[in-house]
Amino acid sequence: MSFAIETEGLIKIFRSRWSGKEVRAVDGISLRVDRGATFGLLGPNGAGKTTFVKLLLSCAHPTAGRATVFGRDARDAEARRPIGYLPENHRFPTYMTGRSMLDFYGALSGMDAASRRKRIPELLATVGLAEWGDVRLGKYSKGMLQRVGLAQALMHAPTLLILDEPTDGVDPIGRRQIREILQTLEHQGVTIFLNSHLLAEVELFCHDVAIIHRGRVALEGKVKDLTAGSGYRVEAENVPERLDLDLRGRARAAAERNGNIEFIFASREEANQAVDLLRAEHCAIEAVARTNSTLEDIFVKVVNAS
Amino acid sequence: MRPSSLRITGALVADTFREAFSRKIFWGFFGCSSALILFFIFIMRIDVVQGAVATVSLFGSAGRSEDVQRLVHQAHGAIAAFLYTAGMFLAVFASAGLIPSVFEPGRIELLLSKPVARYHILLGRYLGNLLVIAVNLFYLVFSVWLIFGLKTGVWTLGFLVSSLLTLFVFAVLLTVVVLVGVLWESAAVTTMVTFGLMIVSPILAQQPLLQRLLSSETSRNTVRVFYYVLPKVFDLGRIVRALVIGDPVRDWMPLWSSALFGMVVLSAGLYAFAKRNY
Repeated sequence: MSFAIETEGLIKIFRSRWSGKEVRAVDGISLRVDRGATFGLLGPNGAGKTTFVKLLLSCAHPTAGRATVFGRDARDAEARRPIGYLPENHRFPTYMTGRSMLDFYGALSGMDAASRRKRIPELLATVGLAEWGDVRLGKYSKGMLQRVGLAQALMHAPTLLILDEPTDGVDPIGRRQIREILQTLEHQGVTIFLNSHLLAEVELFCHDVAIIHRGRVALEGKVKDLTAGSGYRVEAENVPERLDLDLRGRARAAAERNGNIEFIFASREEANQAVDLLRAEHCAIEAVARTNSTLEDIFVKVVNAS
Repeated sequence: MRPSSLRITGALVADTFREAFSRKIFWGFFGCSSALILFFIFIMRIDVVQGAVATVSLFGSAGRSEDVQRLVHQAHGAIAAFLYTAGMFLAVFASAGLIPSVFEPGRIELLLSKPVARYHILLGRYLGNLLVIAVNLFYLVFSVWLIFGLKTGVWTLGFLVSSLLTLFVFAVLLTVVVLVGVLWESAAVTTMVTFGLMIVSPILAQQPLLQRLLSSETSRNTVRVFYYVLPKVFDLGRIVRALVIGDPVRDWMPLWSSALFGMVVLSAGLYAFAKRNY
């Protein structure tokens, strides 16, 4: 079975034309994205995420290694036929209207005129721009450009959607709308590859993630597995110093917040013991709750470690 | 050619026209051409008596009588010369922005993400740019040819053929716009290099004289190499003139050597585009 995306030892080195200085933007990335997966690519600025995507789309040529899309060499123009792409800092020609832009990119994707005519109003309505189809893109707000950009990526009903910061500049309602569109596509079996800085968004939507740092894959796995490190949070008021020190020794983490002390315990038993000790000292219990590691915790840990 | 290839080419050409419309390039040329056509229709009156021009009048005031054939040749020659010089500069100036605009970050990535070969994208843009200029050129030349033909009864093919040669020279210069545009992605550099070639051409065209004036063999060889390698805009202008006034063309070398230059430069542009990282 071929994967939606498969890379093996992918390397991209940029060399300065004048000084000859080298930058290893992608340094041996081997990654597999299953068909129908929702995959999030994470990494700090300059980690090589965008270069990796550009290598998949053949906007940049790999120095070494290989990349395939649905089993086809990514350098082959036909490999891009099933891909819908929304770049991060896109610059759609402002002389185009929403309708003419969709028509143009649809034609480049190989759609005939009749299919384009049918698809354009449907997509404009889907992204909430039905009334804006004949307005020049120069008049669109940033959020509207993102939405029409998403419509552009969906024009030819792609089976692999590569989105670079899709909700950048979009208001919360538009963001939810985009998420709903992506969820519908996910149910239809479309593979979604999301490149985003918004960790909460990736956590909310993606099932698989990879964190890349300095051009390498630092961590890869299923979101539910990575965030499975659960714990128990106990928050209390007026904790005596002696007990505070004792509980800090037992807890996995502790922090002072607005005069309260928050302890994170690894097990339920430890949390219950702590509650007993706090009550014995007549401390007011503010909260007891179960917690999960967030993707942000993982991200920070991975980036700091590497 | 497959239907999908034609569709893609059509989309790229239509996009170039749309951009030319929005930049007012097309309408600027179209407006100037229309003004000139209206001038010949309504302002200039030619009275032909028994095959000779009785009077030529502008704004109602009659000028001296002329031979009808000579008058038509002179008028065609003046228009062809204007198109070949000022028109060519304007066309290159207008086109210098249309090619590099494709390489803008955020726009090129989206184009390259489509299932279209890189050479197809660049050739589609090249063709679109050529057609923007061709439509305007043929609109003016054909209209003027028709007006003069109807008013004088003189129908000379040389003027029409000369417009094809003017378009050919523009096509050759446009290959330079493509190559420089790919390499530097700057409309300003593109304009400077192309204008430079146009300006240097009349100097190199004097190479028999330069051969006599230059003392060193190296300098003479350098001039000779430049003359034969670079497009012969000036010499082709002479051919245009000869075609318009009906003189025989003695040497077609400037045509085929410029064509060769265009093909090599366009191939270099396509190669550079294929190899670039965006």
